[in-house]
Amino acid sequence: MNVKELIYDELINVSKPERYIGNEYNIIKKNWKEIAIKVLTVFPDVYEIGMSHLGLKIIYHLLNEESNILCERAYSPWPDMERLLRKKDLPIFSLESGRGPKEFDILAFTLQYEMSYTNLLTILNLAGIEFYSKDRSETDPLVIGGGSIVSNVEPVAPFFDLIFIGEAENDLVNIINMYYNLKNSGLKKDKILLKLSSLPGVYIPTLYNIKYNENGTIESIKPDNEKIKSNIKRQVVSDLNEAYFPKKFLVPHMETVHDRATIEISRGCTKGCRFCSAGITYRPTRERKKEKILKLADQILKNTGYDELSLTSLSTVDHTEIDSLVKELINRYQEDKISISLSSLRVDKFSVKLANEVQKIRKTGLTFAPEAGTDRLRKVINKGISEDDLYEAVKAAFTEGWSTIKLYFMIGLPTEKKEDLNGIIEMVNNVLKLGKKIRKSSNKKMKPIWINVSISTFIPKANTPFQWETMIDRKELKKRLNYLRKNLNKKGINFSWNDEDLSLLESIFSRGDRRLSKVIVNAWNKGARFDGWGDHFDYNLWLKAFHEEEVRIDYYLRDRSLEELLPWQHIDMGLNNEFLKNELNKALSYETTDECRFNRCQGCNICYNLEFDLNVIGNDYNVHKS
Amino acid sequence: MFIRAEYKKLDQLKYISHLELMSTFRSTFRRTNIALKYSQGFNPHIIFAMSQPLPVGMIGYEEYFDLELKQRLSLKEIKTQINTKLPNGLFVNDIIEISDNEKSLQAVVNTAKYQFRIRFNKKHIDKSKIINNFIKTKDLTITRYRRNKDNRKINIASMIHTGKIIEGNIWEFTVSTGSSGNVRPQEVIRALNHYTNNIIKKLSLTDIKRLGLYVKRKDKLYKPTNSKVLKKEVK
Ligand code: SF4
Repeated sequence: MNVKELIYDELINVSKPERYIGNEYNIIKKNWKEIAIKVLTVFPDVYEIGMSHLGLKIIYHLLNEESNILCERAYSPWPDMERLLRKKDLPIFSLESGRGPKEFDILAFTLQYEMSYTNLLTILNLAGIEFYSKDRSETDPLVIGGGSIVSNVEPVAPFFDLIFIGEAENDLVNIINMYYNLKNSGLKKDKILLKLSSLPGVYIPTLYNIKYNENGTIESIKPDNEKIKSNIKRQVVSDLNEAYFPKKFLVPHMETVHDRATIEISRGCTKGCRFCSAGITYRPTRERKKEKILKLADQILKNTGYDELSLTSLSTVDHTEIDSLVKELINRYQEDKISISLSSLRVDKFSVKLANEVQKIRKTGLTFAPEAGTDRLRKVINKGISEDDLYEAVKAAFTEGWSTIKLYFMIGLPTEKKEDLNGIIEMVNNVLKLGKKIRKSSNKKMKPIWINVSISTFIPKANTPFQWETMIDRKELKKRLNYLRKNLNKKGINFSWNDEDLSLLESIFSRGDRRLSKVIVNAWNKGARFDGWGDHFDYNLWLKAFHEEEVRIDYYLRDRSLEELLPWQHIDMGLNNEFLKNELNKALSYETTDECRFNRCQGCNICYNLEFDLNVIGNDYNVHKS
Repeated sequence: MFIRAEYKKLDQLKYISHLELMSTFRSTFRRTNIALKYSQGFNPHIIFAMSQPLPVGMIGYEEYFDLELKQRLSLKEIKTQINTKLPNGLFVNDIIEISDNEKSLQAVVNTAKYQFRIRFNKKHIDKSKIINNFIKTKDLTITRYRRNKDNRKINIASMIHTGKIIEGNIWEFTVSTGSSGNVRPQEVIRALNHYTNNIIKKLSLTDIKRLGLYVKRKDKLYKPTNSKVLKKEVK
């Protein structure tokens, strides 16, 4: 049934109807009748966010390269669209063929942000699919998930039949084919899932039993029987140069978050910031070679017509060939007025120099992330920059003519004291002063100086050295925020921060376990939707849900003892168990850890446990052996 | 080289806004092998302009844009190149060359023809009597709703030029459009409704199509690509 056709003319009554129309240039519409396996990828947020997600684009094109697989897309309906669909008793539909989720063999969700969990339920519910894997029937599509938050997916694990742990490029097609063949051979779903569970990276949540101690902590996480693997190992792409990368990107009509061509120039980051989960779960760093990037750039720009090319990576400037790459790209595309953008900058002069090359004429603003206010606290989090590094970097930026600088800080970090907050205030003030001084003596026509200060709340994340730490208390968080706000309230400074309650909820989920799934369902029933969107988030509704389900919030915010069994223990990131503990100890004694990429191996063991070809990732083998 | 193109925007893309349509065209041009001309300055952009915006939700059959190219190419070549790179739902019908000092589309286009799929609140009505009386009425005062401004009363009678029934409930009107007098299609419906005692139901924009945009000279309608209204013909 073509649902899209049925309600097409009524889309005029919903906000941003172009979210639901598809027909983008480069859209892939395969013949439904001729293709055996049908996969619907679902992004649990609105179109303009989902369309900016690189991982999903890779999957969409990768699956469609297969002649026996058809892959279509759906995104979350905005509440007004959800109402329209309910009024008409219709499911959300794919943008390609307009069909509802139930007509597909597989629903593949991107799991990217904890606050989109309720949206996931909306899509299942509109499709008439039960929330919990165990309640679904044989005829329902297989509900799978994967993405960047799989390092702890436990709060939503009961909703999934299968979750893929790690980078899916190499394995996904195989899993899909195997599922289809087993299904066709007449096997029941539980038998199929049992068979699939032996594939690398495949996590079947229902096959693992969790036992709890009387005090609520986890006693054990054990598979149903000995034949099932006890740990699910993260899968990785070892050579980015060999990895699949799409060349015919979809070109949305609607303005999306990142309206530009994107090339992932490297994956992973080994700088070792201790609050960052991506810094562990994407280890080690793998680069795409310059030659490869240039070739991709050429094809992608020609196929899309974009006038901006973004080089993305967790740490763009750290690509070993970034300097010559940027020069070459500018050379090639100057005439076609294609601008180059860098997704992240380091706090140093080199970054400013690069930024200056790509933004020669239009200087739109620069972002630096010192993250903490004192050298001491930056040592705790292993952000290896000093106050002077920041001043040098911003000085270079102001001198080149930038007038707007954005600074990222975190509050609520372990060991944070009043002097760290004062440190933030002082640094911001000094940057502002520096800017004003340089502007006065500058012969460039500089606009008035603006410092945009963006404060986010530190959230202890799974698979980081801080996974055992306390989440800052709500009252204390408000107090510290108010203190900063009061002291940074002056002309020339823009102050923005994360919603405190939202941070709290996010932190509950980021270290949560399966008992939270019923809270999510409860909150959804009460109307929770798009929780990540400030104006839709209703904290009281969540409080009620926790209360009704008798789940204690403080249990999830507390610090964990080093011996405690953590809910994600069975998901194997490839880490040496002792590494995170060592890092935590070093943090608390203000010791830093060097980046392993160009120095000595720091012993996280990921390169060995995940069997990386060290030549390919560009690390020196001898260095690793030491 | 300057070109003027007539295109259509169909059902598949009727929900994209004027700004989105502009960026869709720009990326389309960039996908072709046509050498494009860019403006000078800080923020160079393709030299490209469109006719009056088509409201979101409405199909348009004869819409226009002007574009400057860096190098000469045959009109046939340009048309094929653009059409192969356009997304489904957009199609260039025709391209002509214009001189470099031609007046802009928004300056010359002053008339639009709309087709309505009318729905009635009553059965047994004399449709032709309604439309004939309506066209003859000298006072069609409606309230114009303006974004971020106060509403205003306005008489649109002189700006509704013709109206006829194509068959049954398919009605066509030509009205003024552009800076020197503009009638929105919904306003025609509101006026109809008001001056016929509410026998017509409220219409959605998806019930309306824009059949074409014209340059009106002495009661005659010309396409903006017609040599009669162009300053100078270019061969
Ligand atoms: S194993 Fe060593 S080199 Fe590899 S990521 Fe871990 S610390 Fe770095």
